[in-house]
Amino acid sequence: MVKIGLEIHCQLTKLKSKLFCSCKADYREFEPNMNICPICSGIPGSLPLLNQNAVEKATTIAMALNCEIPEKIAFFRKNYFYPDLPKNFQITQLNAYGDTSIGSRGKISINNKEIRIRRIQLEEDPGRLIYEGATERTKITLVDYNRAGTPLVEIVTEPDFENPGEVRIFLNVLSDLLENLGVSDPGLEGAMRADANVSIEGGVKVEIKNIGSFHDLEKAVHFEITRQQSLHERKIEIIQETRHWDDRRKITVSSRSKEEEGEYRYFLESDIPWVNIRSDTKDQLKTTMPENISSKKERYISKYNIAPQVADILASDKYYSELFEKSHSENDAKDIANLITTDLMGLVDTREKRDSSKLLATHLSELVDAIAKKRITRTSAKDILQDMIKTGNSLSVILEKSDLNQISNHDELSKIISDVLLNEENAANEARLKPETINFLVGKVMQKTKGKADPIITLEILKEKLGI
Amino acid sequence: MDLRLSALNYVTSIKNGDFTVEEFIEKTLERIKDVDEKVHAFLQVSDTALENANKIDRRIKSNDKIGKFYGMPISVKDNMCVEGTITTCASKVLENFIAPYTGTAVSRLEFDDAIIIGKTNLDEFAMGLSTEFSAYGPSRNPWNTDFVPGGSSGGSAVSVSANECIASLGSDTGGSIRNPASFCSVVGLKPTYGLVSRYGLISYANSIEQIGPMTRTVEDSAFLLNSISGVDSNDNTTVEKSHHDYLQNIDAGISGKTIGIVSEMTNSDGVSTEVMNATNNSIKTFEKLGANCEEMSLGSVPYAVAAYYTITSTEAGSNLARYDNIRYGYDFDSEGFEFNSYISKARKKLGPEVTRRMILGGFVPSAGYAGKYFLKALKVKSKLTAEINNAFKKFDFLISPTVPIQPFKFGEKIEDPVSFMLIDFNTVTANLTGKPAISVPYENSNGLPIGIQIMANSFEENKLFQAAYALEKTVDLPEVPL
Amino acid sequence: MVNEDEIANVAKLMRIDIEDHSVHIKRVQKMLEYFDILDKADIESVELLVQETDLEKLRTDDHIPYKKNIIDFLKTYKEKYVKAPKMN
Repeated sequence: MVKIGLEIHCQLTKLKSKLFCSCKADYREFEPNMNICPICSGIPGSLPLLNQNAVEKATTIAMALNCEIPEKIAFFRKNYFYPDLPKNFQITQLNAYGDTSIGSRGKISINNKEIRIRRIQLEEDPGRLIYEGATERTKITLVDYNRAGTPLVEIVTEPDFENPGEVRIFLNVLSDLLENLGVSDPGLEGAMRADANVSIEGGVKVEIKNIGSFHDLEKAVHFEITRQQSLHERKIEIIQETRHWDDRRKITVSSRSKEEEGEYRYFLESDIPWVNIRSDTKDQLKTTMPENISSKKERYISKYNIAPQVADILASDKYYSELFEKSHSENDAKDIANLITTDLMGLVDTREKRDSSKLLATHLSELVDAIAKKRITRTSAKDILQDMIKTGNSLSVILEKSDLNQISNHDELSKIISDVLLNEENAANEARLKPETINFLVGKVMQKTKGKADPIITLEILKEKLGI
Repeated sequence: MDLRLSALNYVTSIKNGDFTVEEFIEKTLERIKDVDEKVHAFLQVSDTALENANKIDRRIKSNDKIGKFYGMPISVKDNMCVEGTITTCASKVLENFIAPYTGTAVSRLEFDDAIIIGKTNLDEFAMGLSTEFSAYGPSRNPWNTDFVPGGSSGGSAVSVSANECIASLGSDTGGSIRNPASFCSVVGLKPTYGLVSRYGLISYANSIEQIGPMTRTVEDSAFLLNSISGVDSNDNTTVEKSHHDYLQNIDAGISGKTIGIVSEMTNSDGVSTEVMNATNNSIKTFEKLGANCEEMSLGSVPYAVAAYYTITSTEAGSNLARYDNIRYGYDFDSEGFEFNSYISKARKKLGPEVTRRMILGGFVPSAGYAGKYFLKALKVKSKLTAEINNAFKKFDFLISPTVPIQPFKFGEKIEDPVSFMLIDFNTVTANLTGKPAISVPYENSNGLPIGIQIMANSFEENKLFQAAYALEKTVDLPEVPL
Repeated sequence: MVNEDEIANVAKLMRIDIEDHSVHIKRVQKMLEYFDILDKADIESVELLVQETDLEKLRTDDHIPYKKNIIDFLKTYKEKYVKAPKMN
């Protein structure tokens, strides 16, 4: 049996400041080394100043993953030399003297299977090594410390996955969960990274590091299983080791720097006293936590009679569910849900599109209302949505400008239909003989009105005129 | 004008108009010029001191509000960051390091209108107890320049003792304030852990070290502590202080107080005859002052030095890892070097004692040995803390000699590492347990000083000062022969 | 007794070039030997005492840009990047 365990690093991108200093948590907008201070650049004499909100956010993650949360949390130093690490140690968490990490022994269900969470820890991100930009790049390495100290939560699972597919589902569920909690934006570049450990039946554990995206993680795990199985079939011993994911060649390769594996000289970081997490604090955090995805889904189904697959899409996506929550009323909930999942989804399917979208929740309720009142057709709704996303204009402004009002005026429609029947004499005759072919004529009317004709009234008038 | 003034008397004189700040600073700088080549207290002397003195004088003239130090010259151990100045930790690896900011304790002194007259010598990265391990040459004991001044805050103690300034800030990891205070006949206080901010103090062993005043008198110690203590948003380990004026009731006396004589520190083979005699005399004095003295035991003290070196090496190994010469440091281009070999080459500039501590610091917390050394050391620390907490239920103070021996000659103790470590025997307990401890000059034997150490419970510095003040008032010590 | 190889390995881990420091080995050995005194301390059942604080006392999550450009104090490549040795 294949066993796969994961270590997921998730940046707490919704925080304003870094884990131990007041530099900005979102380092992406800065020129190199313009988001640093004595603390995050390791200047002598500076001391870590733990971010209160980071501890709270990490606590809510631990609660959402059903972890046990200790009464006190402690920080440890993980010591190793690397140029992206300004102090040459990383401040992280460990359960060395009892449970002092922010969460332990959690669990989460995916497809009716339980994945156990071993530990959740709060830690700092290192800086970044830059390889381009230097003509002397064969002689030096360039370092940007803007990212150094960004708050990270590391989620360590038990080796409960049996195939890459389960890994993928888990990662989707997890990233939806983190986004829903309002702690992280998994879509940001580098916000979510993962390492994996893989072993096949009777084999040893192999770690895979350096996986840049969740998409690659699945591939890397798949590659590694195949590699191990093929070694096993050829009766070649699998070595317990750390391998790196080569993003270019899409394979895992053995890391050379094995000499210090595991020798991190962990010990307590006493610049940060142990932090009491009182039970009333936990209770308070629990009450302010956003509703979780599965209970949201349940509510959508039972309260509004929304179809389960529609409810699932709505609830797992923070963007859609927020739009839905803001726009719907008791009566139009189902229609809004359908509008989001059938029309809107295709229009805002990327992060960039969502970021630039000017769509407001009120736009959706206006649209659904107008459809119900037959002011516009279902067909033109999609075009209007597109316009709203692009311009942020309200429905009335759009209708005024583009004449998309539904034609439900009987006389007006009657005139148009008479014209159509004149041009389509053959089809009209056929319809008189075979009434089921009438849809062809309805289509022609729609064509002529650019979809604005009310389909029900159109049908009535057609039948009347054809005498069927 | 007498440079031997106490801090409090200096302030009175300035207020009386006996002399100006500029006159005093000018004379101080002359004194430094005269004696520092003999004692080497300073690594750097301020070149803006006169200018700052002049500014304060003008403010005094125009009746502006002046901070309580009135331009008093205070020196600072060169392991504390002062904005815009080179801060070396007496190491060659930081010979070019310019601090971008001023640490909290120093900026509080500056806020109260002290003049930082210069940066003082120390054992490299504060690792040592004789200032012999400074990369820029040792400091010398003003009482006899053939002898060490103690350490690691040797330069600070010497600067006060040799009248090169009125007071100094030192740092104490295992006795680094109290040991040189005892060796140079000045008052040295290691405050309760968390009372003084460490922001700007270049870490050696961050779980146990504190910045503290080194002064001529106990009152001066309280006067400085008033300024530098208290919670600081730049140091998560600081706590709100319970006393805002340590000078208040400093003369309350110790009649009726109970004093425990720590037998492990007082009656051991390591204590020299002279130090033993001085300690016995101090006990008699305490009794005359109305205190009840009683011998007592702290059972874990014999393990304290081993625990201390285990913890400090571990923390130092990590705290000093950042000195890879990549981000800052001395002039040595990294171009063309491979990362790991560059660091190893750059770290050759670390001196011998620091190098040894780095090896120890790699060893004791490493995966195979952490249980053998490091965890045991932490447990000894915890047990000792429980023992001393228990002792303070019965005793107001615990006393011992500050150092078991008197100052020794250069090179005399350095050869045997174990006997060298044991010089810290009496001082490390206060660091491991976080308790405040003060060394008070008590006797002078064969021309060399002896200090008595008094410890009190956490955050009871006000009581500690009362006992130290009472003892100080009974002594009459000679002037430094320099 | 801790042997020289073990010490040499640790020195390498700490980026200390042991070849230049063979004179230190004896001294380090003596110090480690002294630390064995810890084996005699009766500490099996001792609970660790640690400094504690409350969540409310921690730093509030605000972005406050540092008052100086720290890069000006660091060794740089074109005043923009920190310059480090090559990785291999």
